[in-house]
Amino acid sequence: MSGGGNTLTSMGGSGCGGGSSGSGGGTSGGGGGGPCGACKFLRRKCVPGCIFAPYFDSEQGSAYFAAVHKVFGASNISKLLLHIPVHRRSDAVVTICYEAQARIRDPIYGCVAHIFALQQQVVNLQAEVSYVQAHLASLELPQPPPPPRPQSQPQLLFLTPPPLSITDLPASVSPLPSTYDLASTFDQAASPSSWATQQRRFVDPRHQYGRSLPSSSATLGLGGGNSDLEALAHELLHRQGSPPPTATDDSPSRTKSR
Amino acid sequence: MNPKRCAACRYLRRRCPKDCVFSPYFPPNNPEKFACVHRIYGAGNVSKMLQQLPVQTRAEAVESLCFEATCRIEDPVYGCVGMISLLQTQIQKTESLLARTQAEITVAQIKHSQNQHSEFM
Repeated sequence: MSGGGNTLTSMGGSGCGGGSSGSGGGTSGGGGGGPCGACKFLRRKCVPGCIFAPYFDSEQGSAYFAAVHKVFGASNISKLLLHIPVHRRSDAVVTICYEAQARIRDPIYGCVAHIFALQQQVVNLQAEVSYVQAHLASLELPQPPPPPRPQSQPQLLFLTPPPLSITDLPASVSPLPSTYDLASTFDQAASPSSWATQQRRFVDPRHQYGRSLPSSSATLGLGGGNSDLEALAHELLHRQGSPPPTATDDSPSRTKSR
Repeated sequence: MNPKRCAACRYLRRRCPKDCVFSPYFPPNNPEKFACVHRIYGAGNVSKMLQQLPVQTRAEAVESLCFEATCRIEDPVYGCVGMISLLQTQIQKTESLLARTQAEITVAQIKHSQNQHSEFM
């Protein structure tokens, strides 16, 4: 990935190449192209070398930056990006935008609700695997097979794995499938200490599966679809030369956080 | 004024009022919690977010903010989105394993019925 120029635009936009701030170098900024989306939102002069300019173009970037600014604040994001290598900043911006939009949609849980839902799904699947492995073991031994699986157990989620792509960022944190009763996970009457207990019970997948985090946006697979995030992530991938994923959503409209 | 300042007010070096929005959720015995949240979101943003929420939901909101902030500090590029990716990968692997195991069961059942048929013959 180049040092900059991966501007977040809508899918129907002119593309990053046509964006005013999408230059080959990493020092795009004000100049003759007008302010970047961030500086436009902040109503300040977009100086050359503006840290936001490569990632928030003047057309659609303001909408994304509005969410980011509301949740994190411009200065916090600026400090965060300064500590990230230039070639990884676009990935960081995409994930920051996702978290910001998730937090706006769900002010209480943000994207954590989705994490817990996925964790529950993993637990259910592992239980299913254990059951069928026990069944297989019983078949391989000269014994009668175990009784049929109770109907009360959750149905197997035989989802076709989507291709891993940053464009598959989750559509939204809510609504979640009814299978996952997060209400029981997040006890409404819980005190902070009981939430801490929940956290301790929450097994950090990074500790369980190793810190094999994706090294590029092309391998960041998150499932689902989101017109807003899909648009910006699609643009990101397209600029990286990855084949654009099949559009599963209608053309995204420039909407602010709902 | 709260005689014992909460972790947020201690960090911000200010007086802790009785109605401090942070004090129920950032006890003074855990200063790292607020430091983590402040580093990513900023005290002002957290305060605004909490004030917009019903009181009974603030505790969980704080914990989720802490979680996201911790993830972002540990992984500045992907934050907790990286965890989502890991979980998705794990789900796919588990589903593959499940499919393989169910296929093995089918094969085993066919072999079993064939053996029974040949014995009967």
